[in-house]
Amino acid sequence: MHKDPFKSLENTSIPPHSIKAKEHAIQAALSAFDQVQEEKTKKFQGIANEQRPISIINRIKWIWNMPTYRTIGPIAAGLVIIPAALFFTTNLTTFSLFSGQNADDGIIGSAPQGLDSQIAQADGKQHIIKPAQEMAAVVAETEPSRGYAPKTETASVPQSAPVAALVRPRSSVKMAKRMSIAPPPGMTVMHDMSQIAPALADDQFSEFKDNGVHRTSSEPVSTFSTDVDTASYSFVRRMLLNGNKPEKNMVRVEEMINYFPYAYSAPLSSDRAFEPTISVFPTPWNANTQLLHIGLKGYIPPAIEKAPSNLVFLIDTSGSMNAPDKLPLLKKAFSLLLDQLGAEDTISIVTYAGSAGLALEPTSADQKRKILAALENLNAGGSTAGQAGIQQAYDVAISIKKEGQNSRIILATDGDFNVGISDPAQLKEFIADKRKSGVSLSVLGFGAGNYDDRVMQSLAQAGNGNASYIDSYREAQKVLVNEIGATLKTIASDVKIQIEFNPARISEYRLIGYETRALRREDFNNDKVDAGDLGAGHTVTAIYELTPVGSTSPYTDPLRYGKTGPATGADLSGEIGHFKLRYKRPGETESQLISQSITDEQVFDSMSAVSTDVRFATAVAAFGQKLRNSIYLKNYGYSDIRKEALASKGKDQNGYRAEFIGLIDLANSLSK
Amino acid sequence: MNKGNEEKTIILAAQAGDRQAFATLLKTYYSLIYRMAYKWCGNQSEAEDIAQDVVVKLATSLSSYDNRAAFSSWLYKITLNRVRDFMRARSRHAVKHDAYGAETVTSQAPEQEQALLNADVWDEVRNLPDKQRDCVLLVYGEELSHLEAAQILDMKESTVSWNLHEARKCLKERL
Repeated sequence: MHKDPFKSLENTSIPPHSIKAKEHAIQAALSAFDQVQEEKTKKFQGIANEQRPISIINRIKWIWNMPTYRTIGPIAAGLVIIPAALFFTTNLTTFSLFSGQNADDGIIGSAPQGLDSQIAQADGKQHIIKPAQEMAAVVAETEPSRGYAPKTETASVPQSAPVAALVRPRSSVKMAKRMSIAPPPGMTVMHDMSQIAPALADDQFSEFKDNGVHRTSSEPVSTFSTDVDTASYSFVRRMLLNGNKPEKNMVRVEEMINYFPYAYSAPLSSDRAFEPTISVFPTPWNANTQLLHIGLKGYIPPAIEKAPSNLVFLIDTSGSMNAPDKLPLLKKAFSLLLDQLGAEDTISIVTYAGSAGLALEPTSADQKRKILAALENLNAGGSTAGQAGIQQAYDVAISIKKEGQNSRIILATDGDFNVGISDPAQLKEFIADKRKSGVSLSVLGFGAGNYDDRVMQSLAQAGNGNASYIDSYREAQKVLVNEIGATLKTIASDVKIQIEFNPARISEYRLIGYETRALRREDFNNDKVDAGDLGAGHTVTAIYELTPVGSTSPYTDPLRYGKTGPATGADLSGEIGHFKLRYKRPGETESQLISQSITDEQVFDSMSAVSTDVRFATAVAAFGQKLRNSIYLKNYGYSDIRKEALASKGKDQNGYRAEFIGLIDLANSLSK
Repeated sequence: MNKGNEEKTIILAAQAGDRQAFATLLKTYYSLIYRMAYKWCGNQSEAEDIAQDVVVKLATSLSSYDNRAAFSSWLYKITLNRVRDFMRARSRHAVKHDAYGAETVTSQAPEQEQALLNADVWDEVRNLPDKQRDCVLLVYGEELSHLEAAQILDMKESTVSWNLHEARKCLKERL
């Protein structure tokens, strides 16, 4: 008995893998690869731009994109590489290692990596800045200025329109990548750099810069899309509660402000669906400037309030959801939501993990037991095929969609899509296309560790929905019970705000937050340009910091040749600016315009004269900016913010504001 | 250009961000990864899942491959880690485990007695303690030398031999 029992293992027959599985796997790996390269490029780009802006700009036909790179710490390490990268970009010719293999290679052939395809993908919204001449032509088409500024101003090119302050060029490294350059020895440093990241290494956030100060005489008009997301606040809270200082890019000030309920007065009829609450008052952090606070609440048409809901829960059951704060919390959250629905509402559940599947066929929401059982049966495992799941969810939603019903997909995920379309830009395009079917998409984010905020944001923005981040049962209660109307029922779509400041009164302005929501001036009147949607009960708050003309310390120097002073015509000297809002009623394609002047009547001379809501929102704005290390709040500390928040706490029925004050203390102690 | 050098060039290019090179690597090695995963778990769809996870993982971890070991050995290591993750996740879900269990190699119609015996051996191997199982699979399943297996498993060559010895003893008792 000398026979080795294992000898037989050598000639085991193994069933061949399916060709489809191989293709699928390779596609998935390639898109992961693209993402990794993109990340690298972005990191690289941040440094490269600071070092050699001119040389890079000259080399590349520019696509300007929303900034989505992340900063890295060790700049010194970067410096070593840049010269090498530039050298290889310019001096090496194409490395034709694989030129012979292209013919039979469908996978490579379909790679959506070309420069041109990126141009094609961009939808012409805020992503691309056109060449100057073209831009001038577009600006000339916009609605005439209200007349604060001299006429010639209208046709001039806004050299640094708000969006220009936000965008950054792509770097040359991407180019280097396309040229298939073999790496010089030093290049490996780059890979090491990609591994340097802060505490929650795999959470993904888009980088953006603070809105800068704009001179009213050169750019009197500020345009942006509303944003009702609150995800940023929840995530920041989670970080602080765990004793970590949030990364700058996690903090989106407008989402922090939006998190809190404000009792702005709501309009009484649908004729004028929004009634802005406008106040101007001294800036707590700068004695020489004023704040302009605009609060909005929308009219809730009774028909929408009563409309039955047709909800498709799209639940991520991939392996990464297997954590107590993900799938189990999600199940509890959805049970909460279920309690808010009735017999006329319909629920379906689609899951995705490896492959998509219908876990619950459309079922009336009063069959609670059946729905809860389906929820209970969900288990986490496998990889995430986000796109297949979304596709199926839309199919289900569209197949049972009825006129007058509120059709919505509620996507619950940690955003870690690693199968199918995992590129946020492509997913976004896919969803933007599906949006036309009248089905909206809301995103509930779960978990930390590999939370992909970028994907969440782009999904919700493209899908006419909102993104919330659920970090606790309490947060689930807020989003799915207290604010259920806002989460589920859209009362206005594509809500855009445009403000024109009077250069005779205001020399400079700065929009606080909304960096990722900037629109071009001409986008305001273009009904094809998508913008944020508002749900029933949602409030929108925008805060500007203004420097009045004659203030002793403006942020910028006045223009030597610029004319200030009002244009001829009606006396507008009593106006600080003019507020305009465009929105579409649900299901309509033509927008409605609401406008109102901002006058001296809305000016308050002290902080204590304004309403507690306005005051509290100001404190939140200060906190958000402080967390982003804003240069404008250098002399204003956490203790000052705390004082303001405490003074404006009001009734605080849900305890949200008290919790906020606790977060200020945490941030304060973490900053020491 | 000989084959080894060509492979090195492709790997370097992929590490530098060349998409085509990466695709070539995937196409070349997918089968190897799949076959290895299959031997470990004995189930086609699971092996395909594992292989997919491994190639997706390669997108991020390829940069850490430093040429010291053969690329295939390095791949074995990554695949092995993924398989272990998979096994762990599987044992957490007892219900699923049963479902998978019904589908292992034994359920696939054996064409001859040898195959039947083979399947039994495989099942036994998969039930061995982790280290023994890994050694058996690499040395017998993948036909690697003890040294190669030792490098992949981060253990001494003699430890591999000893584990194999133990495994043989264990299996003789069971069969």
